[in-house]
Amino acid sequence: MIGVLLPHPVLASVEGAIEFIFTPQSSNVTGGKTVGGLDQVIELTLTQLELTVLALALSLIVALPIGLYLGHRGTGELLAISIGNLGRAIPELALIAFMAALIGVGILNLTIALAVLGVPPILANAFVGIHQVDRATVDAARGIGMTELEILRKVEIPLAIPTLFAGIRGATIAIVATATIAPLAGVLTLGDFIINGNVYGDDGVLAGAIVVALLALVLEFSLAGLQRLLTARGLKVSSA
Amino acid sequence: MPEPKVTDVGSPAGASAVRYENATKRYGGSAEAAVDHLNLEVEAGEVCVLVGPSGCGKTTAMRLVNRTVELSEGDVLIGGESVRERDPARLRREIGYVIQQVGLFPHRTIAENIATVPQLLGWKKDRIRARTVELLELIGLDPELGERYPAQLSGGQQQRAGVARALAADPLVMLMDEPFGAIDPIARERLQNEFLRLQAEIRKTVLFVTHDIDEAIKMGDRIAVMRQGGRVAQYATPAELLMAPADDFVEDFVGADRALKRLALMRVSDIDLWEAPLAHVGQATAEVRAKLRDAEVPYPLLVDSERRPRGWLSERDLAAETVPARPDSPLGPLLDLDDVMRDALADLLQGEAQYAAVADARGRIAGVLSVEIISEFLSSPKARTEEHGAVERPHD
Amino acid sequence: MTSPALLAAVGEVGKGFIQERSSETLPCQATDKLFCFDWAKENIGRYETPSVQHVELVLISVLLGFAIAFALALLAHRHRWLQPPLLAGTGVLYTIPSLAFFFLLLPITGRGRDTAIIALSAYTLQIIYRNTIVGLANVPSSVKDAARGMGLTERQILWKVELPLAAPEIFAGLQIATVSTVAIATLAVFAGGGGLGTPIKAGIDFKTNIIIAGGIAILLAAALGMLLFGIQRLLTPWRRAAAA
Repeated sequence: MIGVLLPHPVLASVEGAIEFIFTPQSSNVTGGKTVGGLDQVIELTLTQLELTVLALALSLIVALPIGLYLGHRGTGELLAISIGNLGRAIPELALIAFMAALIGVGILNLTIALAVLGVPPILANAFVGIHQVDRATVDAARGIGMTELEILRKVEIPLAIPTLFAGIRGATIAIVATATIAPLAGVLTLGDFIINGNVYGDDGVLAGAIVVALLALVLEFSLAGLQRLLTARGLKVSSA
Repeated sequence: MPEPKVTDVGSPAGASAVRYENATKRYGGSAEAAVDHLNLEVEAGEVCVLVGPSGCGKTTAMRLVNRTVELSEGDVLIGGESVRERDPARLRREIGYVIQQVGLFPHRTIAENIATVPQLLGWKKDRIRARTVELLELIGLDPELGERYPAQLSGGQQQRAGVARALAADPLVMLMDEPFGAIDPIARERLQNEFLRLQAEIRKTVLFVTHDIDEAIKMGDRIAVMRQGGRVAQYATPAELLMAPADDFVEDFVGADRALKRLALMRVSDIDLWEAPLAHVGQATAEVRAKLRDAEVPYPLLVDSERRPRGWLSERDLAAETVPARPDSPLGPLLDLDDVMRDALADLLQGEAQYAAVADARGRIAGVLSVEIISEFLSSPKARTEEHGAVERPHD
Repeated sequence: MTSPALLAAVGEVGKGFIQERSSETLPCQATDKLFCFDWAKENIGRYETPSVQHVELVLISVLLGFAIAFALALLAHRHRWLQPPLLAGTGVLYTIPSLAFFFLLLPITGRGRDTAIIALSAYTLQIIYRNTIVGLANVPSSVKDAARGMGLTERQILWKVELPLAAPEIFAGLQIATVSTVAIATLAVFAGGGGLGTPIKAGIDFKTNIIIAGGIAILLAAALGMLLFGIQRLLTPWRRAAAA
């Protein structure tokens, strides 16, 4: 059926890529070396996943408390928003190269580099999400006798979940995308298939692209699902 | 307020009659009609108030006129022409539309807002500019506010701008949906008074929706009290409504204090005032005492050379040879001939005065009002005549 | 510090760059200095073509993305049932890392600038689409009610009332899209699309080079961002007045 929709060479390419994912192969293109196959794909996927999760965790640890605190107090708006904007402007390729040159290669070092990308969206969105909670609601909570921490935990954060998660998802997307080019700094992730096309051949390149795309989508869906789980029922009803 | 001048820039007849003929609105899936076979005639130049409890269909009925709600059955005729036969957008440009939240365009200046419909109608720039200035004056807004944006105006000013915008193209009919609802009571009263003054000049056909019976009585030439489904329980003048409610529903809605409400329909000038003996500074107190003997009001009123009241004289004041310059008792509440009787009574009671001086437009003494006079009047047969109740609203 | 694999990974485009460099005496490269001003002064001209390419990439991609996303948003504003699928669709395009997207397109569009532009545009769709929809939805209903009641047609309401009032939101989306695109366009080199990624990739272990190329990218992002902000302020005088 798909053959009807796509021109034949495209279909052939997809076929070749899928084959690449599952069976190790060697050919003239790869200079006789055996590449591909499920094991290799899984290995690189796991590396990328590891890098992503570590970087995301680091970003959250750094950015979340600051963003939540500033948002609760209502100060530092300019700072938070500026950092958010700045973060978007960081060129990923330059970041990887620069950080690798500066602090060295290796997963841990790269994690720091990726966290630089992850912090701005989480920080900015945490601030905005908390800050935009209706003041009247917060006043009421304070009036009932909740401590500041309780207000944050029980009132502001639940109401800010959508915005918070938008930031986390944005951070994840940026981190996954940059983790793809980690091979440039010596950490082999799925991007290796794509960047080193001469080693893996065209099939390998396409295979790499497909798996990366799938990985990103799976992460995104997982986060979306987590968000839905964490969103209070009352909010879900209203945002229908 | 300066004398409003209105140049007739629009159509030859300034207003049209509006007639509902079995007008019905049914919302899909609902067995009950929101407006059920409404038959109502509003005469040209009249203010017809649609009043009733929440959800009775009064707003829906109003919107049938400019087709912001479409008729399910029946018809609405403006000046004899069915609204169904007009293109909705064109129709609406001939009808003034004022809603509670005003809905001024935030991104346009007040002047640009006002110019909206004239622009749609293709008026020339000079004509639009002249009309805008005229309207701002008419509506009581400083012309320089025309260059400001809505966010820079107060609530009352925004409302005025909304009314000016609705009047811009000199429409045949005005639709007003709780236009003064979102304002504080003081500003609201002022706006109501000014609108009445305006209406007396320009005499538009107005369909006015409110849930406030007091506002209805104050603003309406005729009032349609509606119940669920837009069914008219009574369609009558305010006086009729107050004196002869058609059924229990209307009576409940109008409220138990009907007699007091009637006071809102009257002005101080409608009543025969008492006279107080007048005294001037330096006058011989013996003369004043002589006047006191046959007076209706047992206290002399000190006035100046222009016959403007200054205060009340006490026994102690009269003990002297001549009338002193400064009287013992302060003037207390000073009423105006034009005051609405209800407000006058309120002032009297608040000032804890038995008598209050009433002055004319130039501040000169016209008579004295007391609570006694008011209650006498309310219980007199004269008060019951329809003629006296249906008071024309005076203007400056 | 640098692995052999790294140097082996340099593509054809970069080869010339490196050969040229190694033919000159460059004490700067040998040392581990953070930034060599001399080298920078001498070689700043190298970055001209990549910079121009970069600007072109960004402008074309953003304009294309805006045209598509804006049209889709207007459509979905009128036909609400389109909103969830469009949001999901643009969301998927946003989630897929651009590098992967380049190469997913490869079989269809081949290497070159076009592939890069398509992928970069796709990335901007969600933010512009979503901001436009939200901006339009945030127009107060009383304003729309008044406009309709006064006799404006649906089309007039859209262009004279709704869109001007949604402009701040739309421009915010445009700003974000532009800044992001400048950053991501550094990857266009992998698709054969040129841009500032070219010098970066070629001299990937040369700090001065990275700083210059990366710095130009950041400055470009900042400049475009501020330009858009300025245009937005010019187009919305009523917001300034209200704040006053």
